[in-house]
Amino acid sequence: MLGLGIESTAHTFSCAIIEKKGKKGKILSDIRKIYRPAVGEGIHPREASRHHIENSSFVLSDCLKEANTSIKDLDIISYSAGPGLGPCLRVGAVVARSLSSFYNIPIYPINHAIGHIELGKLLTGASNPLVLLVSGGHTMLLAFLNKQWRVFGETLDITLGQLLDQFGRSIGFASPCGKNIEELASTSSNYVTLPYSVKGNDVSFSGLLSATKNVAKKSKVDACYSLQETAFAMISEAVERALSFTQKRELMIVGGVAANKRLSEMLKDVCKRHNCKFFVVPLRYAGDCGSQICWTGLLESQVKSGSPLKDTFVTQSWRLDTVKVNY
Amino acid sequence: MKLIKKGAEADIYQTKWQNSKAILKIRKVKNYRNSSLDSKIRKQRTIKESQMISYARTFGIPTPLVYFVNLEKSFIIMQEIPGTPIHDLSESKIIKLSKEIGKLVGMLHKNGIMHGDLTTSNFILFKNMVYVIDFGLSQNTIKPEDHAVDLRLIKEILNSAHAKIMQYAWNNFLLGYKSVVGTSYNTKITKLVSDIENRGRYAKVI
Repeated sequence: MLGLGIESTAHTFSCAIIEKKGKKGKILSDIRKIYRPAVGEGIHPREASRHHIENSSFVLSDCLKEANTSIKDLDIISYSAGPGLGPCLRVGAVVARSLSSFYNIPIYPINHAIGHIELGKLLTGASNPLVLLVSGGHTMLLAFLNKQWRVFGETLDITLGQLLDQFGRSIGFASPCGKNIEELASTSSNYVTLPYSVKGNDVSFSGLLSATKNVAKKSKVDACYSLQETAFAMISEAVERALSFTQKRELMIVGGVAANKRLSEMLKDVCKRHNCKFFVVPLRYAGDCGSQICWTGLLESQVKSGSPLKDTFVTQSWRLDTVKVNY
Repeated sequence: MKLIKKGAEADIYQTKWQNSKAILKIRKVKNYRNSSLDSKIRKQRTIKESQMISYARTFGIPTPLVYFVNLEKSFIIMQEIPGTPIHDLSESKIIKLSKEIGKLVGMLHKNGIMHGDLTTSNFILFKNMVYVIDFGLSQNTIKPEDHAVDLRLIKEILNSAHAKIMQYAWNNFLLGYKSVVGTSYNTKITKLVSDIENRGRYAKVI
């Protein structure tokens, strides 16, 4: 079975083609174009959607070319229907709807966050993990129970990705800033005390953001180091709490911040203590990509026929714990 | 000493204190954490926990007796409660006991304590009495927002770990809670709980 997945929730416009045989999936192509805001600025939804519109046809044709296939060979088309930025989501949805109606191919609206998890499971081989989803849009601890992903802990305000990006922009980096902060942090070992806020299995980052900005006025390097140490220790503690509560034997991290090496290192140590297997999604597929949407669509197509065009909406706010998973 | 449980932040051992069975709870060094942050957290929580466990007893909350505290090695020796965590009980029992849990939480809040880690594993049923344990994240606070954070956490746990019985257990919890804190405070707190939930990511449909 051959699927096309279209991702356009935020800064990335991406198309991917995956061939599914039984439970196995082979990524034939995954092409992306990423909108880069100016230094010190965040994503401007209108500018990002313009970027997606301008790039969509090139990304699609490159994707088909690399997979050595044509639209007529596709069995299904899936697109990210939320959560995300409305103007950006609409671009992917329009492309998907046009292809679906013109070529008469079944269409599947997909929850972007579920996509991160399913692609992670495909690529890492984790079978029943506690999932840490850390990105610009999410900071959540999840476990699967009774056909739904259940939230065992999450951020009460901003996400880990937002924390890093907003702080990074305040000291003059361009979004996404995670990599720059990690590089700068590795040159310091001077820990400045920052607010540490774990509430049960939940975390709160907003106070930490303000405090770190103050520290940066004296030393950017120490601020980066202390920010990473504090925020990642909070996440690690929440993970430990959720692991000990759910008694899961696997931990999988997915989402853009999964690319951070210091975070992985800390979580590896957590897993060692709890005698639990550690999985991290490969770097290339940590961030937003068409593959996550494509693979989830292929999974859904096992149990559902495509959606009627009139139901192919986008939803800016769509929590993943409301999605029923029947495959 | 026999290791009984590797908890999230501490290891629990069975030990003896003056010839009776006891529990040793030790917060060991975590190598993944920056060492100054680590020692601060371990020390602070050991102090908080031993203080609050004893303080909560004074207004009638069943908690373990604290026998001994060592701040340097951050461990506490306390009475063993050889019962069953609510988490492991049958669904019908969890529903029934939720009212009692609600009452206990109400009493804590009324006396200015936020527990900070209200999960179903932190309540133990022993000889028909529900004991409250694990005060490491507790705080002295009379702020309604803090009390609401407590309620939101137990709601989240019911909604995830006990999804099937969530509605019954939550209703019973609120009945118990209301019977202690009174109707008007209960209304205020549950309103704040939904405020916190609505601040959550993608919770509000825009």
